[in-house]
Amino acid sequence: MEFDYSVLHDNFTYLLWGRMADGQPGGVLLTLIMAVSAGVIALLLGIGMAALAWRFGGWTRRALFVWAEFIRGIPLIFVIFWLYFLLPVVFGSSMPGALTVTLALAWFTSAAVMHSTLAGLESLPVGQSEAGIASGFSQWQILRTLLLPQAWPNLLPSYLGLLISLLKDTSLAFIVNVPELTTVAGQVNNRVQIYPAEIFLFVGLIYYLLCATLAGIAGRWMRGGNRGSLR
Amino acid sequence: MAWHLDWAGVLTGQPLQWVISGFLTTLYVTLAGSVLATVLTVALLALRLTPGKVGRGFVAAYVSLFRNTPLLVQLLFWYFAAYGVLPQTWRFYIGDVHPWAVLPVNVSWLTPEFLCATWGLGLFSAAFLLEEVQAGLNSVPAGQTEAALSQGFSRWALLRYVLLPQGLANAWQPITGQYLNLMKLSSLATGIGFSELTYQISRIESYNAHALEGFAVGTALYLLLGLVMGWLLVAFGPKRPREKKPWLLAVAKSHGGQNGV
Repeated sequence: MEFDYSVLHDNFTYLLWGRMADGQPGGVLLTLIMAVSAGVIALLLGIGMAALAWRFGGWTRRALFVWAEFIRGIPLIFVIFWLYFLLPVVFGSSMPGALTVTLALAWFTSAAVMHSTLAGLESLPVGQSEAGIASGFSQWQILRTLLLPQAWPNLLPSYLGLLISLLKDTSLAFIVNVPELTTVAGQVNNRVQIYPAEIFLFVGLIYYLLCATLAGIAGRWMRGGNRGSLR
Repeated sequence: MAWHLDWAGVLTGQPLQWVISGFLTTLYVTLAGSVLATVLTVALLALRLTPGKVGRGFVAAYVSLFRNTPLLVQLLFWYFAAYGVLPQTWRFYIGDVHPWAVLPVNVSWLTPEFLCATWGLGLFSAAFLLEEVQAGLNSVPAGQTEAALSQGFSRWALLRYVLLPQGLANAWQPITGQYLNLMKLSSLATGIGFSELTYQISRIESYNAHALEGFAVGTALYLLLGLVMGWLLVAFGPKRPREKKPWLLAVAKSHGGQNGV
């Protein structure tokens, strides 16, 4: 196989930021925007749900777990399909594709964030909550000032792992034609036809560099966390 | 806004044919991909456990590469780039009609889409399965290995009779999760035009605009398949002896102290 890198050279900026000049970010830039904003929403939503499950237990917790099982039981592309259908019904007008996919990714990932957070909260010694109660803390104060700060260092690596999944999952926007990296690469491939290997290897390399960097950071945090623990 | 659900638009005639064909195609590619992923996992594990840096390095590179790139990009690469590099005679042969390769409900497994989807899903899932199996092996206490070696077990017998049975039982839940994931991820093959369930459901939407009913049926079918697969994998998978021995040990210890167990 002979490689001809001119196709990458010719489409380099298009792959990196799409039609940025026309005010429509695409390519790597849109991938990053979608991954980061979906990550922030998923984090808030997931921690919120974990707090609810922790605080109320019982049926609230069971309902949240069933909800999370449902989300995790269907393919992500179906979550995207559902939002494409439901969001216009709720908001009365059609939404930009990138926003719809971002919300779907956030929704999908929030279930995993909830599970990780809850596991982190429940791995703390029960004496921490008891000390809080004995000191007259309210349940929310215990959660916010005692449990979350202590669980946080252990949670960070798993959150980063979820961000890596999220970054890879943005590629599903290809199926609904939102112009992030994979879609843009597909467009270039359809246009030039004869350099699929160069294009998809290059795209794979970009994803690899982004994800491997994040995985490296997560790994270092994890090792750092273990060294600092009491083992 | 009132919705008038019209299930006949999905569950009769041509759309029903599509749903059935898509569901079975998803089932077939899941089975084929799972077999490939399992074989590859065993091979990678063997390669990792053989002495020597080359094997270990290869496995590490494989895992890193397949875990840190999106499956969809991998599928696009296999379908658009790698498949085209196959010898032309092979591609012509695969492109032909092969009555013997047709599975029930007229689904052929000898098509570029089916082969690329199976290949892509198998290679991707092996990287994840391998790490779950490895975690299971690591969870077996070191004393087990020491005991087996002191009994004169070979490395292979140690793996086959001591480590794998316990490791697989310990890690069976996440391993099941990976097979279920493979099934759900087969939906991405719609991106290379593979006519599995997701592809056929989207086809109904453009055929008669019964999007809501179509998505509902698709969602239900994926959930159903996941439940059945999960149940089968748990029912026929290796089981951990449910804390019986530790419990007995604990009872024995609390009652009689050192019994020489």
